[in-house]
Amino acid sequence: MKHVSSNIEVTGETEVRVPTRRAIAKQQTRAKVLSAARRLFSESGYEGATIRDIAAEAGMSTGAVFANFTDKSDLFREIMIADMEALVEAMRDGVSRGRGVDDTLLKLFMAGYAFYKSRLPLARAAFGISWQPDQGQELRELPPVLQLQDLVSEQLTQGVERGELSQEAEVKLRSQMLFDCYLANFQEAIFGGWSLEALQAKAKDQIRVILAGARRG
Amino acid sequence: MSVRKSQKEATRQRVLDAAKELFETNGYETTTVREIASRAEVSVGSVFTTFSSKGDILSQVMADRLDALYAELDRVVPHLRGSTPDRLRSIFAIHYAFETRRTRLFLAHIAAAYNWTLSPTSRPYGRTPRLKQVIRDCVAEGVVRGDVAPEVNLDLVVDALLASYAWTYRLAAWDDADAETMSAVMDRHIGLLADGFRAPKAVSQ
Repeated sequence: MKHVSSNIEVTGETEVRVPTRRAIAKQQTRAKVLSAARRLFSESGYEGATIRDIAAEAGMSTGAVFANFTDKSDLFREIMIADMEALVEAMRDGVSRGRGVDDTLLKLFMAGYAFYKSRLPLARAAFGISWQPDQGQELRELPPVLQLQDLVSEQLTQGVERGELSQEAEVKLRSQMLFDCYLANFQEAIFGGWSLEALQAKAKDQIRVILAGARRG
Repeated sequence: MSVRKSQKEATRQRVLDAAKELFETNGYETTTVREIASRAEVSVGSVFTTFSSKGDILSQVMADRLDALYAELDRVVPHLRGSTPDRLRSIFAIHYAFETRRTRLFLAHIAAAYNWTLSPTSRPYGRTPRLKQVIRDCVAEGVVRGDVAPEVNLDLVVDALLASYAWTYRLAAWDDADAETMSAVMDRHIGLLADGFRAPKAVSQ
């Protein structure tokens, strides 16, 4: 389906608006700042990276950074949105390959751990920020973050519909607990240096334990 | 204790007291080591002879607080009665009640667990062996009492409980929830997990 619709867009006769040179340059500047910010947040954490450092890393003036982003939190939010959207896609892909509730949830979790495997320092910075009053609220209300949580509860709902889980499975609460475990395991990944295999073994057990009371029969 | 040692101890205590007040009233992020030193009436230099960073001070403040919490738990736990889920509920409720006495401080502590400046000696949030042990003992005793299935995987159950416990603090961080609200949510998490580990014979709650 995806291929079909993108083909139509390409071959369609809708008027294509050619971006101005200025708009392209602006896009390139933004991309350059964002990738510099990503590197520095990963190296020094959110608090440790200043706009000045980020500008220097991107090879431009702080003024040029501020022309494109309001402040540091704006930069971080942009990075988070891009990552979370990609993460939701990766998780959807994992879900599409799953068989049964347990396996599907496990694939969803693993898509998350695999996605962050190469960017754990950024995950670490995001966790720190998510507990701070103002910025934390902003982060958790990002649409892709909400989609992520919905994705977990959708799997339980479907488990109930398929008859794998009982009607009284308390989907909302149970998906919250699953999500808590998913997040908590990042501690092992970040601080314990756990491999994907170790995370998978643990997540598998956690899913089993949390769903244990909801099985049918 | 030598004079020098006791002086050092007094300085340490003054710094910790000052930091605790400032973190709670002004917030952790905005408080500087200089402000802490000035409130404690010691030099910035002497703060740094005792602590490696602001994160280290926070970690020590929280560790000292935990000593008080676990003294309280040690008194209460032997008197707990009822089913294993009920006992677990009481233990977590005590934690929520204790930590929400200084919510802001506690949330800073959680955020700092991911901080870059923590020294290796700091005890960041989530790695308190005491809580883990208390919960583990409680579930293990449930097996002996007969309301927890003997084949229960203790580590897993404890782990899931601690994940729920920790992340339920999001309600305090994001929705200004009080201890009672968080305990109520935790009660339900415990109930759901207990559905999975309850001994077949035990009467359901």
